[in-house]
Amino acid sequence: MKRRLLTLFAFITILSLLAACGGQQATEAPKAEEPTKAAEAPKAEEPTKAAEPAAEVKFKAGLLAPGPVNDGGWNQTAYEGLKKIEAELGAEISYVETEQSPAAFEKALRDYASQGYQFILAHGNEYTDAAVTVAPDYPNTFFFLSSSRFFDPKVPNVVGLNTDSSQPCYVFGYVAAKMGKGAGLIGGMEIPPIAEAFTGFINGAKAVNPDFPVKVTYLGNWTDTAAAKEAAISYVDGGADVLLGNADFATQGVFQAMAEKKVMGFSMFGDNTDKAPESILINYLSDYGEGLLEIASQVKDGTFKPTSNYEFGLKDEKVMWLVYNEKAATPVPADLRKEIEGVIAKIASGEINTLAK
Amino acid sequence: MDLLPVVIFLQSILAATWRMATPILYAAVGEIFSERAGVLNIGLEGVMLIGAFAGYSVAYESGNLILGLLAAIASGILSGLIFSFFTITVKANQIVVGAAYNMIGMGITGVLYRVFYAESGRALSLKTFAPIEIPFLSQIPFLGEVLFKHNIMVYATLLLVPLATFVLYKTAFGLSIRSVGEHPKAADTVGINVNRTRYFAVIIATTLAAIGGAFLVLAYADQFVEGIVTGRGFIALAVVVFGGWSPWGAMGASLLFGIFYALQLRLQAMGNIMIPYQFLQALPYVVTVLVLIGLTKRRVQAPKALGVPYK
Amino acid sequence: MNWVNFRARLKKVFRSAWTPFAAIPIALLLGGGVLLLAGYNPITAYEAMWQGAFKDKTAFTEVLIKATPLMFIGAGLAVAFKCSIWNIGAEGQFYAGAVMATVVGIYLGDLPRFILMPLVLIVGVIGGALWGMIPAYLKNRFGASEVVTTIMLNYVAIYITGYLVTGPMIETKGMFPQTPKISAAAWLPRFFPPTRLHIGFIIAVLLAIILYIVIFKTSIGYTIRAVGINPIAARYAGINVRKNILLAMAISGGAAGLAGSVEVAAISYRLYQLISPGFGFDGIAVSLLVNNNPLGVIFSGFLFGALRSGAEVMMMTAKVPSVLVYFIQGLVILSVVAFGAYRATTKEIEE
Repeated sequence: MKRRLLTLFAFITILSLLAACGGQQATEAPKAEEPTKAAEAPKAEEPTKAAEPAAEVKFKAGLLAPGPVNDGGWNQTAYEGLKKIEAELGAEISYVETEQSPAAFEKALRDYASQGYQFILAHGNEYTDAAVTVAPDYPNTFFFLSSSRFFDPKVPNVVGLNTDSSQPCYVFGYVAAKMGKGAGLIGGMEIPPIAEAFTGFINGAKAVNPDFPVKVTYLGNWTDTAAAKEAAISYVDGGADVLLGNADFATQGVFQAMAEKKVMGFSMFGDNTDKAPESILINYLSDYGEGLLEIASQVKDGTFKPTSNYEFGLKDEKVMWLVYNEKAATPVPADLRKEIEGVIAKIASGEINTLAK
Repeated sequence: MDLLPVVIFLQSILAATWRMATPILYAAVGEIFSERAGVLNIGLEGVMLIGAFAGYSVAYESGNLILGLLAAIASGILSGLIFSFFTITVKANQIVVGAAYNMIGMGITGVLYRVFYAESGRALSLKTFAPIEIPFLSQIPFLGEVLFKHNIMVYATLLLVPLATFVLYKTAFGLSIRSVGEHPKAADTVGINVNRTRYFAVIIATTLAAIGGAFLVLAYADQFVEGIVTGRGFIALAVVVFGGWSPWGAMGASLLFGIFYALQLRLQAMGNIMIPYQFLQALPYVVTVLVLIGLTKRRVQAPKALGVPYK
Repeated sequence: MNWVNFRARLKKVFRSAWTPFAAIPIALLLGGGVLLLAGYNPITAYEAMWQGAFKDKTAFTEVLIKATPLMFIGAGLAVAFKCSIWNIGAEGQFYAGAVMATVVGIYLGDLPRFILMPLVLIVGVIGGALWGMIPAYLKNRFGASEVVTTIMLNYVAIYITGYLVTGPMIETKGMFPQTPKISAAAWLPRFFPPTRLHIGFIIAVLLAIILYIVIFKTSIGYTIRAVGINPIAARYAGINVRKNILLAMAISGGAAGLAGSVEVAAISYRLYQLISPGFGFDGIAVSLLVNNNPLGVIFSGFLFGALRSGAEVMMMTAKVPSVLVYFIQGLVILSVVAFGAYRATTKEIEE
């Protein structure tokens, strides 16, 4: 109680200092006010009784997400993975949306590590620098980087986990070139998980027909659903009849354009069939948690000894898989599905490199 | 040379132009009232976000778009009352309050959206206002696609702009607005209640901005996402100045912005141009600056009392 | 000083000081109301926030680190705002500075430390100042409103940065779009490793003090303020209005550019597409909150830094969405201005 009172009091003092500065009198202000504030503070505090559980070593897993975890896409996959760790391993979980500035990353990592989190998932390649800087100070914490191929024996507690979206997108591109006249891809910003997915799509399409037109648009943000929709419509006007959005929140606009313009399309990271029931041919579903789970349980048991980074792909059927939409206006025909099975097998075995330049 | 691709190219851009311009236009026409009365509201972005959220949540829960629109209007009136209270009654600096309001809008819609919708697991899309194809006219080649296949909120801008012009220039109320923005003292001496007039002007502004925000969820994209306004409030501020504080000017300016935005998307979609896409993305903003410079000859002055609280 | 006089002064101080004191708790109280409404416990949330900002030395230094760019930008904007130039473009000027610093830090990386380190900061200032002088020039030459042009130039600067880091300056093609690290010779010294507190914080405080002196104690500052109060009267008084507008924009742009170069040279060591999470916009509030007084910016920058820094921990431990902090920041500003204005009116009535 006393500590909290003190903190509140100090907070108020600082705040008022600045406020007083905004007026004319800077220095004398705090003194004049101290007694009244101190008297008021306890009232505001009374209702709470800190009920912190006794300290015990608990398995704690934290997530640094670059955006809101309710985006129905990239960040949500990580959050759901975390929830899986909570459900299956009884972990205490927590997440934070970091400001998109590298200055914020290091602090957030330290905050978690210093609170005794043993498993920290930094959901994006952009956290690499920060993780490598922080990791040596917290040897008992493992730092995992999504969409990264990082592994360096010198910092053994930083491990890259890459879910290779280029593989399912290769299949999308393959289907697009078989069934459509041209494809438009709409991305948020040009970062590896987006760009690689698109590379996979293009490679898949070119494998069928080297002249199949595939073009890429970047919106420059992740929130402008309206612009995403316009970009998608713009493709349709230009003759494309297959659309793929990979722009976080803004992807919603692409689904809407598919539905309105009655063209074909695909969905990533979740089942979005209801957004464009006649258009979506295939949903690429991923359960990042399934991939994280085994690693997390080893971390929990203290048996995790990484020897390389992790690559998840279509070979990991529990982590990423494709679901056909049977209600689509033109469902993927049976013979094509047969063919795709072969393609997936080749991707899984490594015979097809979906990221080939 | 084959003309067809060129025609399709233009048609595609022009059809998108009006839609892209609409949310900005609502906010800008409103802001004209406010600025003409001498109140600069840089908090439009926040007002639009709150309007979008109010419109979305009510429309989603009730299943009725009109109710959603009314909720957005109500949120706009509330925003206006708050903004006017601070800037007109309390006489706080308008830029300060506007900046604060942007933060408030972002914070409150973010928190409420997460609490109510983020983890609800419900399907979150709305059925938006459907495009209305005007009989016969929509069949005209080219023009039909460009002009006559939009939804009601897009068409409504055709009413909004002349109506705003009429109110501003042909009614006593409009005269009061303009006079309190130019010479509040003189207006006061002839018996115009300066502060009350400004209250009304601000509320008109925020209401229209909230409608502009709601347009994004009720008539464009079909669900709310955090930060959906994506800078349109700031663009609207630019459009007001750029359009010379007149509703028709604002329409021209927002259409120009819309056309270049649509053009950059279209150029990216063509893909075989040797220009880095970031330069295309910057295009609408650069053009706005260039046109603003080009308009220097027939430049209109800002309202004289803009930004100055009265008494 | 006689006793009566002193008491009168004390009374005056007390009277004018109580209002801002009341403003902050009110903002927190309203924010707490929203938290309650949203189903969170406001006390736990605020305690977590406090913990996040002030729990130990490291946390506190992180607050200062977050405050640093806000102080730079806020202090610079204070000058522009005092001149009644509504520079909404600090965000773009920050990017301009960061780009310049990175270019020099990478391509001139072989220069000796005592040259390179100051050079990186100086080119940051130049980059920001030049980017800020474009709107000033357009205003002077063509009468183009700086509100419009600065907003537009923000977008342009951000897209140019995006182009550079995804294109010509990318570290490894196909990897995360970032430039290589700048030469270690350009890194600003840090104080108490492992904390990241760096000399940039001191520079920011110094800059705020210098700009305070410039604005309030020199003739340059006097003319800038005169232009701000009434440009027409200033012109009649023989002041070169255009020159002052250019100067005010150069100072505020330069300060924002410096913030960008410090961020690169002290924290990130390289350039990213989104290196600023909106410092330029927060900086506007930081300056306005203290009535555009560069000295006050030290405190308001600190407050915003603390709120932001605390918000992250609030999200981690109390699970409250960190976006709430925007709401609280907005409320803090509103309550402070409201009380400030209230004070002004009551004083008027008494007199």
